[in-house]
Amino acid sequence: MKLAAQYNKATLIITFIVLFIAGCVYYTAINYIVNKQLDHDLLGETGEVKEYINLHRQLPNQYEGDQTTFIKTNIAAFKTLFVDTPYHKNRGNKRGNKIEPGRAIKTLVDVKEDHYILTIVESKEASEHLTQLTIGITILLTVILLFILALTNRYILSGLWKPFYHILQQLKAFNLADSSIINLNTTNIDEFTELNDAVTVMSTRVKSDYQNLKTFTENASHEMLTPIAVITSKLDTLIQDEKLKAKQFEQINDIYAATNKLSRLNQSLLLLVKIDNDLIQDTATFNLKDVILEKEHQLQELAQNKGIELIHLLEDKEITASKYLIEILINNLFNNAIKHNPINGKLYIKLTSKELIFQNTGDLDPLNSEEIFERFKKGKNSDGTGLGLTIAKNICSQYHYRLSYSFETSFHTFRVTF
Amino acid sequence: MKLLIIEDEQGLRESIEKYFTEAGVLCESCSNLAGAISKTSMYQYDCILLDIGLPDGEGFTLLEHLKANGKNEGVLIISARNSLDNKIKGLNLGADDYLIKPFHLAELKARIDAIYRRKYFNTTNLLNYDLISVDLLGHEVTVNGINILLTRKEYDMLLYFIANKGKVISKNAIAEHLWGDEIDLVDSFDFIYTHIKNIRKKIMEAAHKDYIKAVYGVGYKFL
Repeated sequence: MKLAAQYNKATLIITFIVLFIAGCVYYTAINYIVNKQLDHDLLGETGEVKEYINLHRQLPNQYEGDQTTFIKTNIAAFKTLFVDTPYHKNRGNKRGNKIEPGRAIKTLVDVKEDHYILTIVESKEASEHLTQLTIGITILLTVILLFILALTNRYILSGLWKPFYHILQQLKAFNLADSSIINLNTTNIDEFTELNDAVTVMSTRVKSDYQNLKTFTENASHEMLTPIAVITSKLDTLIQDEKLKAKQFEQINDIYAATNKLSRLNQSLLLLVKIDNDLIQDTATFNLKDVILEKEHQLQELAQNKGIELIHLLEDKEITASKYLIEILINNLFNNAIKHNPINGKLYIKLTSKELIFQNTGDLDPLNSEEIFERFKKGKNSDGTGLGLTIAKNICSQYHYRLSYSFETSFHTFRVTF
Repeated sequence: MKLLIIEDEQGLRESIEKYFTEAGVLCESCSNLAGAISKTSMYQYDCILLDIGLPDGEGFTLLEHLKANGKNEGVLIISARNSLDNKIKGLNLGADDYLIKPFHLAELKARIDAIYRRKYFNTTNLLNYDLISVDLLGHEVTVNGINILLTRKEYDMLLYFIANKGKVISKNAIAEHLWGDEIDLVDSFDFIYTHIKNIRKKIMEAAHKDYIKAVYGVGYKFL
C-alpha cells in the first residue's frame, strides 16, 4: 500500500472515531441540559399545583388533554422523582393521539387528609429536535473534514514526499557499473536532506569499492600474464632438449595444458572486467549473418569432426555493436553448442530480425537456467574456464539483448532476443 | 638477421635470446628503455622486439625515438595488455606487429620472420627451404619443382614450420597459431594431426622425403 493511502486510511479512521465520540458526548451533554431544564420547569409547575392546593384545599380541575394526573394513594412518604415517559399529544381533531417522548415528574401532594401522586408530563419534542440538529451538524462536519483531509493528504502530502520519491527513483536507476552518479535535488526538509546525504555517501563508497575491486582484478590478471609468458617460453625451450624421455614429455604436456588454461582464464577475467567497465567501444554497424557465417566457417572442422549435423536458417540482421564482442559472443555460443553435443548430434542456428537461436542436442536433462550463466559454473564434463556463458551474457546485457536458456523438445536452446 | 630484444623479465628475455640464437639469429638484449635508446642510437638492427611495460617507461617512447631519428627497423611489440588502444597506438607509431603475452616462442619466431621478410625482401616473394619453395604472394608451394595444392591451414602450418625449422614445436603452439585462443586446445589436437598427415603426404609425394618428425606426443619438428 502506498504511503499516502496508508496515511489517508489512518487519518480518516481516527477522524471518524474522534468525531463519533464527539457526537456521543454532544448528544449526552445536550440531553442532560435539556432534561435539567425540563425538570426545572416541571418542578415549577408542581410548585404552582401545590400552591393552588394550599390555597383552595382541593385538587385543580382536570381538563381534557391535560397531562397532569392525580392518583390517590396510601403512601404517606414519597420522594419526588423524574422519569422519561411517553407523552400522548392530543391534536384536537379526530386523528387521535400521537405519542412523543416526554419527561414526567412524580411527587406526593396532600389534599386535606388524602395523599395523591401528582404526575406532570411534558413533551420533549423540542429538545429532540435540538439533538437531531446537533447530530446532523456533527455528521456534516465529519464529512467536510474527511473531504478536506483527503484533499490535503493528496496534494500537500504528495508534494511533501516528492523528494523521497525522487531518491527512490534514483536508487532504482542506480547501476554499479554505470559511471553516472546519483543526482539528488536539494530539499528544505531536514529528514530528506539527511537521507540525500546518506544515499550520496553510500553510493559513492559502493562505487569506489566496486571500482577498486575491478582495478584489482584487472591488475592481478595483467600481472599474472608475464609469469605465464615465462613458463610458456621455458617450456618451449625445454622441449628442444633431445635427452628428454617420453615420460617427461607427458608431464610437459600437462604443464602446457595447465598453463594454457591459466592464460585463458586470465584473458576471460580481463574481458569480463573490460565489458563491465564499458571499455570496448569500437561500435560499428554490420550484418550479424556475416559474422555467424564466418565463425561457422572457422569452426566447421570441429563440428565435422564430431559428425554434428549443422543446419542454419539465417536472415539478414543489421546490428550496431562492437564487432569484437559480437564475435566473442557468437564464438562462445557456437563452441558451447559443439562442445556439449554428442557424436553425430545436431546443431541448429536460426537468425531472424528479432532473435538468434542456437539449439543443440546433448544431455537429456535440462540445465539449470539460473546457474549456467554464473561465473565458474561448468557442466560435468566441461574442461573450459566456466566463463564462456558468463561473458556471452554480459556482452548481451551490454547491448540490452536478452540471453536466455530453455530446454525445448530435447534441444538445449540458447536464445538471444534483440 | 640482427635482433634486439628489449624485455625486463629476465626469464623471458633469456628464453627468447636462446631460441633465436639457436635459430641462427644474432641477438642482443637489454632490460630497460634507457639501454634500448642508447643501443638503437649506436647500432643498426634488422628487427626489434619491444616490451611495452618497461621499468623506466613505456616502450612507445622508443618507437617515437626511432621515428624521430628516421630509423626503420622492424618492430614487434609484446605486451601483457590486450588493449585495442595500445595496439593501435603502437602500430601508428611505426610498429609492425603486436603480440600479447603469453605467447609461444615459435609464434614469436614466425612473426619476426614475417616482419623481416616484408622489410627486406620486397623484391622477391619466394621463400626457399631445401626442396620447398613458397610463393608468398601467390600462396603457391612448389616442392622439388612440382606444384602442390595445400589448404589454407596447411599453407599456414608450412610457413610456421619453415620459420621454426629444426625446433620442436609444441602442439599447443601450433593450435594457437592456427585457431587463436578461441577453441579448446584438446579439441584441436586431432585436427593438427590430420593437417600434418596431409602436409606430410603431399610433400612426400613430390620430394620423396619426410620433413616432419613427431616428438613424443608433445609436438613436431620440421627438418
